[in-house]
Amino acid sequence: METRIRDIFLGAILISASNLAFAQEEQQTGVQNVIEPDLQRRDINESNIDTENFEIGVFAGIISIEDFSSSSIVGARLTYHVNEDFFVEASYGQATAGETSFEILSGGAPFLTEEEREYSYYDLSLGYALNGEVFLTRDWVFNSATYFTLGAGSTEFGGDSRFTVSVGAGYRLLLTDYFAVHVGLKDHIFNSEIIGEEKATHNIEYGIGATFFF
Amino acid sequence: MAKWIALIGLVLVINTVNAQEQLPEVQVIEPYIEMRTGPAIGYPIFYVAEKGEWISILKRRTSWFKVRTQKDKEGWVSVDELKLTVNSAGEPVEIEDGSFSSYQQRDFELGASGGSFEGVPSLSVYGAWVVTENIAAEVSYSQALGDFSENRFGIISVTHTTFPEWRLSPYFRLGLGQIKTTPRANLVQSGEETRTNDLMVGGIGLRYYLARNFVVKFEYQNLLALTERDENEELEEWKLGFAIFF
Repeated sequence: METRIRDIFLGAILISASNLAFAQEEQQTGVQNVIEPDLQRRDINESNIDTENFEIGVFAGIISIEDFSSSSIVGARLTYHVNEDFFVEASYGQATAGETSFEILSGGAPFLTEEEREYSYYDLSLGYALNGEVFLTRDWVFNSATYFTLGAGSTEFGGDSRFTVSVGAGYRLLLTDYFAVHVGLKDHIFNSEIIGEEKATHNIEYGIGATFFF
Repeated sequence: MAKWIALIGLVLVINTVNAQEQLPEVQVIEPYIEMRTGPAIGYPIFYVAEKGEWISILKRRTSWFKVRTQKDKEGWVSVDELKLTVNSAGEPVEIEDGSFSSYQQRDFELGASGGSFEGVPSLSVYGAWVVTENIAAEVSYSQALGDFSENRFGIISVTHTTFPEWRLSPYFRLGLGQIKTTPRANLVQSGEETRTNDLMVGGIGLRYYLARNFVVKFEYQNLLALTERDENEELEEWKLGFAIFF
């Protein structure tokens, strides 16, 4: 009996509440109809969209120059994103090579002059990115990409320029839509006969970078 | 450091300027439009804008558009989905995605190529201004790295694309330039010297409109170096490259 009375009361309350809500809704739509939206919409075309396919930035790290110790390296890069997966990249870096173990141990005449110790490279690479997301907390999410590059270019070292093949991998974390931080690893392979017989040298570079999309 | 602060400041200023401008808008006419968390197909769909809703376009990256709905949800929409929306006049939205017709109307080209110069690897970059549909003016810079010497050459040339209405078209090149030959460091000791010579260049190639704003090029160049010796030096280069156009 008690339950039935309660049900009737609840029912009555619900009906009145829904009526009230309905009345409010009617009022709102009424108000909306009175004020006709007079909006000037701007149409889309090629020129009024901000296109961000280029990425420019700087990097710094360590390069291990084969036979000539490890040095700090700084550089810049420019990337053009072809589509969501592929990109082409031009990069330039420079470092000052150290001394060979032989030079240090013997204390004799250096192999290279100061000028010849300047190490610089450029390369043009094709890259492939695997896009992803990083969840720092449940709501704090960043887009990211792991990428691989293969390129060719030139290295100037020991007074000569050498044809250089570069193989790299990196990781990009987009802190905003247009600002990213990078960590990367790249091997620069070129033939050298600076310390005797010609051989293929591997010059491995790693570092961090920051880039802007524009 | 000051430069960086200036750059960051500039970016912020540009952003605020953009924010003040009214954003272009489109209306959804399909039952819904899918919005992803990032500009790639693998990103999850986290929201759908409903039929009849107006969405603002914030920016574009490759084939993806960042949009904002009336309820302030921001996400990425593919170009294919955006083409299913309409503008204020109720007409379907038209977005040039680098079609063949936009290729025919291009103004500038930037490209890079790799190849073989007298049997040694060579790399080139170039920029071109497309004057008419047939004729373009081009500036290029190349580096060829051999075992005995390094060659760097710059060329200013004019190209003639024979059939601009075809996706695959032959083209011809005539140009002038300068080449700098630097002998390897170990040969300098044996008396070799760096020399600079003028160049006359003739070339023939094929260009192919690939997709969107990409062109692939294959070219043969014959370079005549005008030396001070009795005979001029004839050089050959083969190269394969790509270009983007604007």
